[in-house]
Amino acid sequence: MGAFGHYVAAHFDTLKLEFWALFVGGVANGLLYGMIAVGYTLVYGVLRLINFAHSEIFMSGGFAGYFVMKALVGTSVPTGAASVGLIILGIVAGGVVGSVMAFVLERVAYRPLRKRNAPKLAYLISAIGASYFLFNMAGKEFGHLAVSTPQPYINHAVFHIFGAPVLMYYVIILIAGVVMFVALDRLVAKTRLGRGIRAVAQDVETASLMGVNIDRTIAITFIVGGALGGAAGFLFAMGTGVVYTMGFVPALKAFTAAVLGGIGNLRGAMIGGLILGVFESLCVVFVQAAYIDVVAFGILVLVLLVRPTGILGERLGRSA
Amino acid sequence: MKLRLNKTVAAVASSALLLMAVPAVGIASASGAASKAKPTYVIGYEGPLSGGNLQLGLNMVFAVELAINQANASGKNHFKLQLAKYDDQGDPTISPTEAQSAVANRKLIAIVGPAFSGATAAAEPYYSKAHVATVSPSATRVTLASSGWNNFFRVVADDGVQGPADADYLVKTKGNKSVYVVSDGSSYGTGLATAFAGQASADGAKVTSVTVPGTAQCTDGTASATEYSAAATQAVASGAKAMFYGGYYCDLGLFLGALGSAGWTGPIMSGDGSDSSALITGTTPASAASGVLLSCACAVSQNSSFNRAFQNLANFSSSNATYAPESYDATNVIIAAMKKLKRITRSALVAELHKISFKGITKRIKFQNDGNIAGAAIYVNQVTNGKVVQLGLE
Amino acid sequence: MKELFAKTYVRRLLITLGVVATVELMTGPPGSNTAPTAGFRGSFAESASFFGLFKTQRWVLFLFIALVAWGIASFWINKGPMVRATVSRALVTPRHITAKRPVRWGALGALLVVAVLLPRIETSAFWQAAMVEQIAVYVLLAIGLNVVVGFAGLLDLGYVAFYAIGAYTTAWVTGALPLPPLFHHALNPFWSIPIAILLVMVAGILLGAPTLRLRGDYLAIVTLGFGEIVTIFANNLYGITNGSLGSNPIPHPSIQLGPVKYVWGLKPVPYYYLALGFIVLFLVIFSLLEHSRVGRAWTAIREDEVAAESVGINPLKYKVMAFAIGAASAGFAGVLTASQSNNIFPASFTLTFSINILVLVILGGMGSIAGVVLGAILIQTVTEYLNNGQHWGYQPSDLYIYLGALLIVMMIFRPAGLIPSKRRKREILLSEADHENAHLDEALLGDDV
Repeated sequence: MGAFGHYVAAHFDTLKLEFWALFVGGVANGLLYGMIAVGYTLVYGVLRLINFAHSEIFMSGGFAGYFVMKALVGTSVPTGAASVGLIILGIVAGGVVGSVMAFVLERVAYRPLRKRNAPKLAYLISAIGASYFLFNMAGKEFGHLAVSTPQPYINHAVFHIFGAPVLMYYVIILIAGVVMFVALDRLVAKTRLGRGIRAVAQDVETASLMGVNIDRTIAITFIVGGALGGAAGFLFAMGTGVVYTMGFVPALKAFTAAVLGGIGNLRGAMIGGLILGVFESLCVVFVQAAYIDVVAFGILVLVLLVRPTGILGERLGRSA
Repeated sequence: MKLRLNKTVAAVASSALLLMAVPAVGIASASGAASKAKPTYVIGYEGPLSGGNLQLGLNMVFAVELAINQANASGKNHFKLQLAKYDDQGDPTISPTEAQSAVANRKLIAIVGPAFSGATAAAEPYYSKAHVATVSPSATRVTLASSGWNNFFRVVADDGVQGPADADYLVKTKGNKSVYVVSDGSSYGTGLATAFAGQASADGAKVTSVTVPGTAQCTDGTASATEYSAAATQAVASGAKAMFYGGYYCDLGLFLGALGSAGWTGPIMSGDGSDSSALITGTTPASAASGVLLSCACAVSQNSSFNRAFQNLANFSSSNATYAPESYDATNVIIAAMKKLKRITRSALVAELHKISFKGITKRIKFQNDGNIAGAAIYVNQVTNGKVVQLGLE
Repeated sequence: MKELFAKTYVRRLLITLGVVATVELMTGPPGSNTAPTAGFRGSFAESASFFGLFKTQRWVLFLFIALVAWGIASFWINKGPMVRATVSRALVTPRHITAKRPVRWGALGALLVVAVLLPRIETSAFWQAAMVEQIAVYVLLAIGLNVVVGFAGLLDLGYVAFYAIGAYTTAWVTGALPLPPLFHHALNPFWSIPIAILLVMVAGILLGAPTLRLRGDYLAIVTLGFGEIVTIFANNLYGITNGSLGSNPIPHPSIQLGPVKYVWGLKPVPYYYLALGFIVLFLVIFSLLEHSRVGRAWTAIREDEVAAESVGINPLKYKVMAFAIGAASAGFAGVLTASQSNNIFPASFTLTFSINILVLVILGGMGSIAGVVLGAILIQTVTEYLNNGQHWGYQPSDLYIYLGALLIVMMIFRPAGLIPSKRRKREILLSEADHENAHLDEALLGDDV
């Protein structure tokens, strides 16, 4: 116990030193995970299906944003209003392409199965197939090399928290994330469309008896989830560039976040994302970077075994 | 016990037929149109000719092809040469199959390659048993020369030379007293980083070694670029003055972006795995790659006739073609050895290669007993103005 | 306009055009990040010959194919049942004959003879190597995964972990790892076969016991996570597995029992016979299991877990058993690979590999041994053939485009696989026909959480 205590104590000093920098980075990552997790949670709530191919929706949003930036950003880095305009355009481009991909995915890979009332295993296998098809197609069409995104803004530190710089990039993610989450929350809680989604999530047959158009609602669920996933893809691409395999790990982490927060629970997805992002970031002090993924998978396994309903519980069906 | 076989019989019989029909359609190999008087021999190239590392393979195979074409065109040799390409995708699970295929080709007398160290380690036993000389332009893993393969040669200095040379450069020449050594967890990166760290400590620098694993974005790693920001924060907080990265350009590109955001200011150096213009295109933002030092046992060719001929054949410049000059030299040393032999056989070629001394366009090629190149030339390059520029020997 | 879309034949035409356009993209030239539209443009505009008659652009050729396909599809959907009925009637007599036991056993025997003689028939070095490394190993893995996915209905995405454990156990037992071998004495790889199988089964039990209570989707993700965790540990525990550097050279198997002396060398054919022997062994064992009490328990759990429990079957026990037994053939496959190649690397045990095996099982038919063997042979042969040489614009990195599309298509059109297991096919049909009996599809996944 003494050696362990020693180990923790030594690392706590490092933690104190780096805490705020790691925390800020972790929050930014967490917001991204949350945006992707929303896609998983919405689809799961409505269809009881893990959309394994959501990682490719994330990737497609990233590529869309990358192409827009490549087309519009010249050799000099824009500033001011041009920056803001470009960023918004990038987010919109990512979101639109993400929704379109999600819609097409639902139509091609899931709807035929739904119409035939296929067993659940079939959906999962089809999702895996769709995921592999999409990212390898992207690799074929856009090449296998990673490329960096032309920057539409200058990434300086906007302000400092206790000595840790908060970069423009993190501020952008924070603003975009908060706006999207709030809008989504209002959409699901207050609008007719949202009520439809909640109704289908709660009980499909009763909802259809009540006049909710199931096919349309499911399509819209995918579209909304896809929009957020695609936007997250652009934000990720802005900071890290794009490559055809970019979707796999962030999406897996996002799924962990969704499960952590309570799959099917919208607010749970956001909260789970934040918790996972920060925890993962702080972990690097204690555990070698190589094992961070083990930590993330470990959290996933633990949550599924011990408390599968997650922190906030499966609740999309009830009032969010 | 009832086994349902009515469909099985038809299905499995047809698959067996498929198996038998396949070779009839033909497998890509040297087609061997024998010339009238001179015997034809095949020089093979084994390396990545598809997938993410395709460009590297193309660099090398065009150079091999150029050397072969020139040898045939000169008319001064008592043999004719053909090129056979074996695509192992840089994968040690695929290279044994390709090696066996190459060895089965009776006309094949030598291989330029394999390009990747892992693929070489997996394939060498087959080449060794068949006494086929393999002259690699780029496989730099140290243990390849000490595994008892008489037929193994390489025209570049190995990682055991590159790592310590880099350490001497960064610590002694550039005067950095503390170095943060990062390995990407791959077998290449770990080897290089360990060699570097050892020499750097011996040179009196304070060394901190960490592993920041490769991402799923670049290799089959399990990390994601989102973790790099935490790793970069750690690096900055360590207070080290310089950094050495053992790994490949793709992950380094991602890491450089995170380092820039975290506020890293010291020099960053990496090895030949990062020595590529793809490092610059893969770094977000591209300015984060500026000033990065890259070492390589490979040289940028200063030989203008080679450069012109290569450009004509490959349609891209040899200054961007890592390992092209080395592949050219590897092919030419094989040809030079063949010229000295009256009767060309695989074993005779291996013996001759052990003896030969040949002036190539990159260096004088003479092999030590274990197949390593004599001499320890490591070059250092730097990313300047969006391009990789060779600074000189370390 | 809406009325036009409502017409089925218009919809069918649009779907056919969409599918054909996708196929065009799949088989077209690649793009790159500097030329992202090159692939798209080339796929449609590249010049192609119209079945050797005249030169035209690809889209013309494919438009023609699409129209022909649409015509055939329309004809089939309208006239299909009649044709199928006629064919069924014609097949009655042959089916009668093949239903007889002696015929079946004879056919099996003939297959065995063909398998034994195959290296004599196929003598090219490439294919002999491929037969062992690509085909035999994959057949072993597929029949093992079939036990997990097919017999017990558990979607395991981390199956590659058992393969890795088998391979690393071989390395350990023969002294090729930094970790000192069992009894501090390096052994012949043959000894690693029982040890590896034992360890792999223990791993299966350890993995299965906590996780097999989970529902199908969650189980899939958890097994995926475990697969990744095993790879990460293999890649980082330098003291145990030598990390990413891979193991030290592993000796080849050899037998020295009194007068019997044989050393497996570098040539692949002896390994082929070794693999064939064990494949037949595993096939016999799995087949016997399928028709035993254990197999019936698996079927019961698959079809209706609650009912199974109520007649005294412990679902968890049988699921863990399926996991462990399915892992056994993966363990042997690991031994085979490790003792044949000279060293093993953690980098070869990826999630993509697990998915590859899953495709083989799905294509062949979940739960059907014959189907799975066929699926494995078929896909691996085609893959090797395409990987070796230039064929119609196919690049080896395109493989998973086709496998992914294959999975989707199989799930939509023929979820029971090429050679369906009768029971599974019935279960799928029942699930589709039965909207109210929702518990049937839940049963395919396992326990409700």
